Amino acid sequence: LSKMAEESESALQLPPSTAAEGEGPTEVSPETATPDPPSSAAVSPGTEEPAGDTKKKIDVLLKAVGDTPIMKTKKWAVERTRTIQGLIDFIKKFLKLVASEQLFIYVNQSFAPSPDQEVGTLYECFGSDGKLVLHYCKSQAWG
Amino acid sequence: MEEDEFFGEKTFQHFCAEFIKHSQQISDGWEWRTSKDCSEGYMCKTQFQMKPGTLVSHPGTSAHVQTCLPVEEALELPPDDFEVTETTAGSEVVKYEYHVLYSCSYQVPVLYFRASFLDGRPLALKDIWEGIHECYKSQLLQEPWDTITQQEHPVLGQPFFVLHPCKTNEFMTPVLENSRKINRSVNYITSWLSIVGPVVGLNLPLSYARTASQDE
Repeated sequence: LSKMAEESESALQLPPSTAAEGEGPTEVSPETATPDPPSSAAVSPGTEEPAGDTKKKIDVLLKAVGDTPIMKTKKWAVERTRTIQGLIDFIKKFLKLVASEQLFIYVNQSFAPSPDQEVGTLYECFGSDGKLVLHYCKSQAWG
Repeated sequence: MEEDEFFGEKTFQHFCAEFIKHSQQISDGWEWRTSKDCSEGYMCKTQFQMKPGTLVSHPGTSAHVQTCLPVEEALELPPDDFEVTETTAGSEVVKYEYHVLYSCSYQVPVLYFRASFLDGRPLALKDIWEGIHECYKSQLLQEPWDTITQQEHPVLGQPFFVLHPCKTNEFMTPVLENSRKINRSVNYITSWLSIVGPVVGLNLPLSYARTASQDE
């Protein structure tokens, strides 16, 4: 447990999902898709949660695939109820992708979980050593 | 290995067979079908979903239906048993069919799909749009008619909607190359379907993820 606490301290906290309350995004994003209303458990008004609150947050390690830009910060503490789609939106903003670029997230380096899948569930299935490794890849996928 | 580069029909059939093996283990409903006169085969699955109507409050009544229930059971559920106070007026059960075929011209798998009400009335693309996850709409809306088109099913000869395969290589290549680097084999079909499926309402259960990639 203490090892996890150390890792949490070095991991950055993922900002709360801006669309959770239906207030609209706090940043101006040209073509942000509005996600479906989250389940009741997903709401994270989220300000100062203690870094050592390991029950609520999952340590996620993000790894780039292919030509996708590598994020300077790779390790993030993410709420269990954050969805894959929420994570995708976050990474897209972080990497400043344009609207026509799609971003995919993979578990087991090859399988894209559904957009509504929660990080907590993925951690239970695929987490190891106290963290969940997710690969991400950008692509022009459609049309 | 050069064989990995070329996704031929045999490779397609092999990965479909592996995919279906797992589907059978978890009763996910995928089947293999062959056409009578030739060796072409494809994978298919049928599932039932509620097409949402207008949300109305109705104390004492309910139309609470789960997805994938046998239709007869769903329609006969008595209202008394439920406390749900909201119902979707005008909601109907929709039958979705998903077919995975091999495209000789693109040398990739292609997802065909169609939807109809239980009385056989087909859903128009416009209606199917409503069922598409919000996160894909902004992407697809940019060029919808190039992305989802209506085509004749190569084996059945009936009209289906098709998710255009022209970009498939683009999003599959990084995944395949990445796995090759670390000596893991990827089930192309599982990986591909996990990406394209959700766009048209088909979500693969997480247990497929373990079978998507394995050490060689």
